Amino acid sequence: MNAQPETAVAADVVPVRALPRWALLGAVFGLVSAASIALWGPIGVSGTYPRFIGALLRLLAPGYAGANTYLVRMGDFAKPETFLVLGLLIGGFVASRFSPRHAPRVEFIHAGQTSAAARYRDAFLGGVLIIFGARLAGGCTSGHIISGITQLSVAGMIFGAGVFASGILTAKLLQRGGR
Amino acid sequence: MDSLSALLVGVAMGVLLQRVGASSPALIARNLRLENLSIIKFMATTIAVGSIVVYLAGLWLPMHLDIRPAYVLGVLGGGLVFGVGFAVGGFCPGTCVVGLGEGRKDALAALLGGVFGALVFTLFFDALLAPVLKMADLGKLTLAGVLHLPAPLVAVALGAVFLAAVAWLPTEPGRSTR
Repeated sequence: MNAQPETAVAADVVPVRALPRWALLGAVFGLVSAASIALWGPIGVSGTYPRFIGALLRLLAPGYAGANTYLVRMGDFAKPETFLVLGLLIGGFVASRFSPRHAPRVEFIHAGQTSAAARYRDAFLGGVLIIFGARLAGGCTSGHIISGITQLSVAGMIFGAGVFASGILTAKLLQRGGR
Repeated sequence: MDSLSALLVGVAMGVLLQRVGASSPALIARNLRLENLSIIKFMATTIAVGSIVVYLAGLWLPMHLDIRPAYVLGVLGGGLVFGVGFAVGGFCPGTCVVGLGEGRKDALAALLGGVFGALVFTLFFDALLAPVLKMADLGKLTLAGVLHLPAPLVAVALGAVFLAAVAWLPTEPGRSTR
């Protein structure tokens, strides 16, 4: 009678444990990314930022917005990508509601970092650089690395190499500086 | 219809990124310091599965492929700038939105930084950036095109290499666990 539930639990747990979390979630994300390409197009996030700027400037300075080549090229704010970004917000909210641990309001990420003000400054500066860099390159982690390399794009591979080269170097230097 | 499916894809992506820990800037920093490779291995698995499925399903189904042009100077330079920002802030353009959904205040700071970065880019585009971005443009190049091989074959081979690499690499280098 005692042995019965134990074997049942073991049989239930083993197949899940056999696959690490990153592998299981990565495989599901791969299917989601493929489904996106089948349904409407590859996932991409960073283009929504200038499209948001475009929507704002069309309200505040329509003359300038109409003459700016980049805003004209990026087009209307009402694109599937904008809904994708809205989905990210909802997904993050929903997943955190069902999460056993609450996400910290502020997370220190490098050695020696203890001031919240410095962390907000770094997060803001990081935000400026990732969007400026992504718009220079024409894509970000999702558009170039995930969707790009999925589609065998050479641009995605060049971008990915650049991101990890400078990202790893910067992270190592920041860690050393903090010690 | 496209908007609805994009919204659903976004929700799924947001849940997955939150669950794997990609919206934690501390975990991103640990990945970039190569102390923990879980997010890098997650990304490589996503690419491998996605690539194999897209190109094999593409043999029978129409796919909305969108290959972005490889204008080498801008793509590489942008990647290098992006990497610095990724390490400094610990967020990418999507994970800061997920993090905001989770209630992270530093994610909001990154998002505002991103909006500011987009404004600066837009203001300097015509005068400074557009001429540079036209240089060394190789066009919409794929690995299959470079190798003169069928795309499904290259996708399966690349996917296999990525999956072998993530299976072989430790998740926490320095520790003896997977």
